[in-house]
Amino acid sequence: MRILHRIFGLFCLLFAALPAFATSNSADVPHLHVQLVIPSSTLAQGQAAKAGLYFKLEPGWHVYWENAGDSGEPPHLKWTLPAGVTATPIEFPAPQRLPLPPLMDFGYENEVLFPFTFQVAPSAQQGSAVLHAKVDWLVCREVCIPGKAELETTRTIAASGAAATPVEPDASLYARVGDKLPQPLPSSAKLGFEPTPTGFRLTVETGQRETQAAFFPIDQLVIDNPSPQKLTPTVKGFTLDLKKDANLTANPAQLNGVIELAGNRAYEISAAKGKPAAPQPIPVAATQSASAPAATEQSAAPAAPQSPLNLWKSTALAFLGGLILNLMPCVFPVLFLKGLGLVQSSAEERSRLRIHGFVYTAGILVSFWALVAALLALRTAGSRLGWGFQFQSPVFLMLMAALLFFLGLSLAGQFEIGLTLTSTGNSLAQKHGFTGSFFTGVLAVIVATPCTAPFMGAAIGYALAAPAIVTFAVFTALALGLAAPYVALTLQPAWTRLLPKPGAWMEVLRQAVSVPIFATVIWLAWVIAESYGATLLAALLVVFLVLAIAGWFLGRWPTKRWSAGIAAFALFVSAFSVYAANAFVSAPTEQSAQTGGWQPWSQSAVEKNLAAGRPVFVDFTAKWCLSCQVNERIALSRPEVQQAFAASNVALFRADWTQHDESIAEALQKLGRSGVPAYALYTPGQSNPQLLPEALTPGIVLDAINSLPKTAASIGR
Amino acid sequence: MTSLIRAACTLLVVSLATAAAAQARIDAPAPQFTATDSNGNTHSLDEYRGKYVVLEWHNQGCPYTRKHYLSGNMQSLQKGWTAKGVVWFTVISSAPGEQGYVTASQENAYMAKMHADPTAALLDPSGKLGHLYDAKTTPDMYVINPSGNLIYSGAIDNRPTPDESDIQGADNYVNDALTEAMNGKTVATPYTRPYGCSVKYGD
Repeated sequence: MRILHRIFGLFCLLFAALPAFATSNSADVPHLHVQLVIPSSTLAQGQAAKAGLYFKLEPGWHVYWENAGDSGEPPHLKWTLPAGVTATPIEFPAPQRLPLPPLMDFGYENEVLFPFTFQVAPSAQQGSAVLHAKVDWLVCREVCIPGKAELETTRTIAASGAAATPVEPDASLYARVGDKLPQPLPSSAKLGFEPTPTGFRLTVETGQRETQAAFFPIDQLVIDNPSPQKLTPTVKGFTLDLKKDANLTANPAQLNGVIELAGNRAYEISAAKGKPAAPQPIPVAATQSASAPAATEQSAAPAAPQSPLNLWKSTALAFLGGLILNLMPCVFPVLFLKGLGLVQSSAEERSRLRIHGFVYTAGILVSFWALVAALLALRTAGSRLGWGFQFQSPVFLMLMAALLFFLGLSLAGQFEIGLTLTSTGNSLAQKHGFTGSFFTGVLAVIVATPCTAPFMGAAIGYALAAPAIVTFAVFTALALGLAAPYVALTLQPAWTRLLPKPGAWMEVLRQAVSVPIFATVIWLAWVIAESYGATLLAALLVVFLVLAIAGWFLGRWPTKRWSAGIAAFALFVSAFSVYAANAFVSAPTEQSAQTGGWQPWSQSAVEKNLAAGRPVFVDFTAKWCLSCQVNERIALSRPEVQQAFAASNVALFRADWTQHDESIAEALQKLGRSGVPAYALYTPGQSNPQLLPEALTPGIVLDAINSLPKTAASIGR
Repeated sequence: MTSLIRAACTLLVVSLATAAAAQARIDAPAPQFTATDSNGNTHSLDEYRGKYVVLEWHNQGCPYTRKHYLSGNMQSLQKGWTAKGVVWFTVISSAPGEQGYVTASQENAYMAKMHADPTAALLDPSGKLGHLYDAKTTPDMYVINPSGNLIYSGAIDNRPTPDESDIQGADNYVNDALTEAMNGKTVATPYTRPYGCSVKYGD
């Protein structure tokens, strides 16, 4: 079979390498038919004549667009033409997306005609003209085959106005498929794009609601081709969320390409950065004016993980978050007391107090900016140290989950963070004058830590992933939100009366906030389990346990130094186990790269190998079985063990019991085992296999292999 | 209240979405990997800290790969740079049953026949390494500097054709990147669109 495959490959290559020699206007090569299409019998002096390069493809095969996407190449055409005749470059009809997971190509299936134009100079010599073209292309299905052909055809160059007759089948072919080029957008249309944290939001107004749209970028390395393009229909058109190429460093000034809309409409576009030319920004204005699309906007905005959040939205949310922080039990009483103080102040003092309000804001702002600076510095340092601050990095995921879990515990009331910090802050804030106000602002940030930390945790996670400018904007908005109520009170002290009295409700609110935090933790744990398996999830749960113990000490004996020491030690252990767990993660890579020798288990396969005189080793395992993973890592996949298996010509089978499998259960029962792990080494000619212990070492396995009769090893080689 | 929850969640979701985009990025640490070569030895990227590492995605049936092997271009790059201490990994991510999939012995036979001389040929039938680097085509080239950062990703040269005749006079981006980096310069062209056949990953 493999030889057949090879011969086929060779055959194809041979074909590909040989240009089709026929000097005809078409060529038939494996998987496609290529043809020059020139509808008119004459080319008139001083005029242009339409023509095209036509491909007819076998089902499943495709040729490529101008930007072929992640792989592939568009066809090329080189002309040898009589003096006075030139040909324009070929133009490309609107392509289709050709998914080739994980890649995405852009091209054409079935048939395509690439139009071009002959330009005939008035001075071109009349009479018969030979038009000779060298064409090359790449045609792909699962495999790619480059091809070449020399195509030639003859037309008559005649005086302008001379009679021309259509040439068949060219004329009808051109009439049928010749006019599929994307059109320029109507002048009434508006378009533009705005950068988002993950890419670009392209907004196009065609004048009608668009429920189907795809964007094909002309420029390579701008858009991440395989990512789904999230469409949001609007009243007058649509927005399309595009993910940018991972290595894109500077946003382009324009997005150039083709959009394809329902009803085979395709337009060539060049969208400039900024809002669509018309003044109304679609997402907001459209929601106000019409109710139908408002629903779409609403449903499109949250939830979906791909939906990029506009900078202004993140900023608005952060401001709101900052406002809400004021209601937290650690902040609200301070605010309330300050408010009361303001009510009692005299009129002359008010203007001074207003200034105090702004200084207080400055204090908060400076604290947040310091945090941003620290974070950005950490991020830079981190990437230099090789930390992956990404959610694919298991370390980051685990640290994030651990952090949120710990803060959730604090919110739920297990312990308080930052008691000691508060006392240092207080002495500074006692100072009078503007310095005092400034540090009250700083204090508000520090004091708020136990309540704000979970929120800040999320914001910090965001900051580690977002561009610096976004981080800065988000934290500034958060700071302004936190400062806003107090500033409002300095402006209008009477508003204090509107505030609810501090009381037990604040504590309830604080505890309630822990619920979404824990929900987030569950989700992160799910992501970890999904991507890195049960081993890492188990490690994470252990980290949670250690953190819960740390929290217990902090909550039970909050003022004792030794309790803080134990907590610090527990935190250290957690951090360490996260890194240790990471080592566990990289192991599977090694594992799977080595799985070459392991075949999926079946009773018949085992018997077949034994009948052929080959010893057989069966690894009964399951993904959820920790000791199985450990055995595989420390014993079975060790190079020396693998070599010994190979040297004794042992057939390796892996029976995966991750999902319940009746035949595996039966085989285990026969071996006298009720579950995994179980390891059986069969020797040809012996009915009962040798069972290995549940805890393996390389030595145990090597001894078992060495105990095989030497004859068995040599047979079948 | 709900706003706070929503704000917190949205922030998290956004950070996730942003971070998920990150794969092999220029001037960022190259993703760590451990893989087995055609001689059964394992290699992990950390072992080669302090050296330049080149990753060459390979499919012996792909016409674009063949262009560089039948002409001897790839072999001379391998010989030339490994002689200067560069670690060169040929990576094969074709899944079993797909074009370019080879067993260890087939790959060794191929390398002997072609006089290929990489440091090692890494077998990646699961496509894990390929996905880790987001390798798109064969050939797709990556250059990692001694501190473990990715300094080049993309095409082997500036002539995206399967014709051997196009090698002469082409601007070889891998040569450029290594030469510039070794002379302490920044790589002028760190990122290009790779050309060739798609990597034949399994499903």
